[in-house]
Order: sequence, then structure tokens, then C-alpha cells
Amino acid sequence: MTNSTSTQATDIMESPLHNHVAHTNADNAGVVMSEDKFRGHLNLRGNPQDADFMAAVASVLSVPLPTAPNTSARAGDTVAYWLCPNEWLLIVASGTQGQVENALRQAVADKGGNQHIAVTDVSSAQTLVNLSGSGVEQLLQKSTVYDCHEANFPAGKVVQTTFAKTGTTICKLADGSVDLVIRRSFSDYFFLWLQDASEEYGLHIA
Amino acid sequence: MHHIYCPYCEETREEEEYSYTGEAHIERPKDPAAISDEAWADYLFFRSNPRGIHHEMWYHAAGCRRYFNVTRNTQSYQIHETYKMGELPTITAASLDQAAPQGDAS
Repeated sequence: MTNSTSTQATDIMESPLHNHVAHTNADNAGVVMSEDKFRGHLNLRGNPQDADFMAAVASVLSVPLPTAPNTSARAGDTVAYWLCPNEWLLIVASGTQGQVENALRQAVADKGGNQHIAVTDVSSAQTLVNLSGSGVEQLLQKSTVYDCHEANFPAGKVVQTTFAKTGTTICKLADGSVDLVIRRSFSDYFFLWLQDASEEYGLHIA
Repeated sequence: MHHIYCPYCEETREEEEYSYTGEAHIERPKDPAAISDEAWADYLFFRSNPRGIHHEMWYHAAGCRRYFNVTRNTQSYQIHETYKMGELPTITAASLDQAAPQGDAS
């Protein structure tokens, strides 16, 4: 059997949670999981006290790099998470990570070129998962040691902590749902945990 | 479980996110070839094991992945302060002794 149309890369790619799509679909589910597949994930390191570096990054990204601990910035498809004082996770539109990586290197080189920076494409190592629904807050309380009460965890805040003992980056969104960055190698484990922890609320895979 | 303040995340987090990585403020000899074997071995292998105030390094493994310093009482496990790498402690065994000159055990 031949297919006359060219096969897109994303048609044959399998996301980390590929095998769990439509695995569990409860009615009126209290927890809805959706994987934001194949987003570009870039790990950026540089000195935030260096005005040239910050200006170079700002010229490439549509969002400013957050410099306050545990904060994030987002505009459209681009998200920047604060990871540590000189490290950020940039999540960009699917397929654009190579262009953004090159543009970042070029912009920094144009600003002087002798700065110590690192841009690493980690797209294949991790995936972005969104959890929403009425049961999410309780699910997080069961799964993570971090205090996810809204007084301590307002929208836009991002923390790296443990989720079911695996390292996770959790970001609260304005709509009350949470975005989790999970490791590809832990995705099966993550899903099995999620299935178990969400049993009483019902789980729906969107 | 401890709640430990990370000076980089500027937040108090659960002990589960951290790991202990040994004594702090150990300076590598500037010229290892010039010192005696005994002094080198002392730098390499020997650590103080005080009863009471201890300055030690902790690693925020599940968080910002930064090392920082902790002043902890090894008897009571009380953490007096945490501070960034390169900084010096404000609370030491000597400073606590001054605060309680009668040798008060509390």
C-alpha cells in the first residue's frame, strides 16, 4: 500500500504518552489529562546580570526571561520557566526549537560573542502534560510534597519538585489547571501513578 | 521531616527535595605539591564531626539543583540558617556561646 502524500514527521513520531492515549475515559471525569505533544523544549543557561545576554534573549523570544525565583512568563506558544538563578526552560512551538536555538546563539554572538551561555535542545527528553478538572488539587496533594494550595501556588508560579517521587516541573495556569514537565523515561510510571491516584475522581484523556 | 529554606529558590521546601553533601567551607590547598602528605590527606579524607553546630552543604536535587550551606545542630537537628555558596555563616558555635556565656545547655 502506497501513500501519495508525503508523511509528516509527526505522523510517525510517538510521544512519550503515546500508548496511553484514550486509555481511560470516565464520564464526568474529575481529572482531565492532555499531553501537549512534541513541543520544543530548550534549556537555556546564562548570566541574568549580563545586560547583553538578557537583551539578546529578549530580541529572539516574545517573552522576557523571568528573573524572580519560581516565576514564569508566557506569550502565545512561547513559555519561559525560571529553573535556577541562571537557568531557564523555554517551551516553544512544535518544530521551531532548532530555529530558536540557532537564533539565540546568533543573537548572543552578535552582542559580543564571548559570553558563557548554553542552549540545549531537550525536546526528546521530556514532555508537557496538562492536568485540569475539579479533582486536580486533591490529586496534587496526594502526589507532590509541594504545598499546592492557591495561597502558596498562584497562577504563573513554577516549581521544580517531586511528583510521585520523580522530578517534575509544575506550573499553575491562569485557568486553574497545571502544566507538568515530565521525563520521557518516567512517562509510563507517571501515567500508572496518575491512573491510580485519580481513580476516585475519574480520569479522562483529552 | 525537615522544612529547609533554599536561598536560591527563596522558599521553604520539603527535605525530600534535598540531599546532604558533607561539610562546608573546605578549601582546597592552593599548591597541593607543596604541602605534606599528612596535610593533603587531612584535606582529602578527614572531616570534623562536631557535637552541636555544624556547617554543611546541601544540594537542592529535585529543585534548582544548586548547592548551598546549612548551619545545623547535630544534636537537636535544628537548622539555624541557610546561606548561599561563597557566603559566610552569621551563626557559629562561637557566636552562640557568646549569646549564652553561662554555658547554658539550651
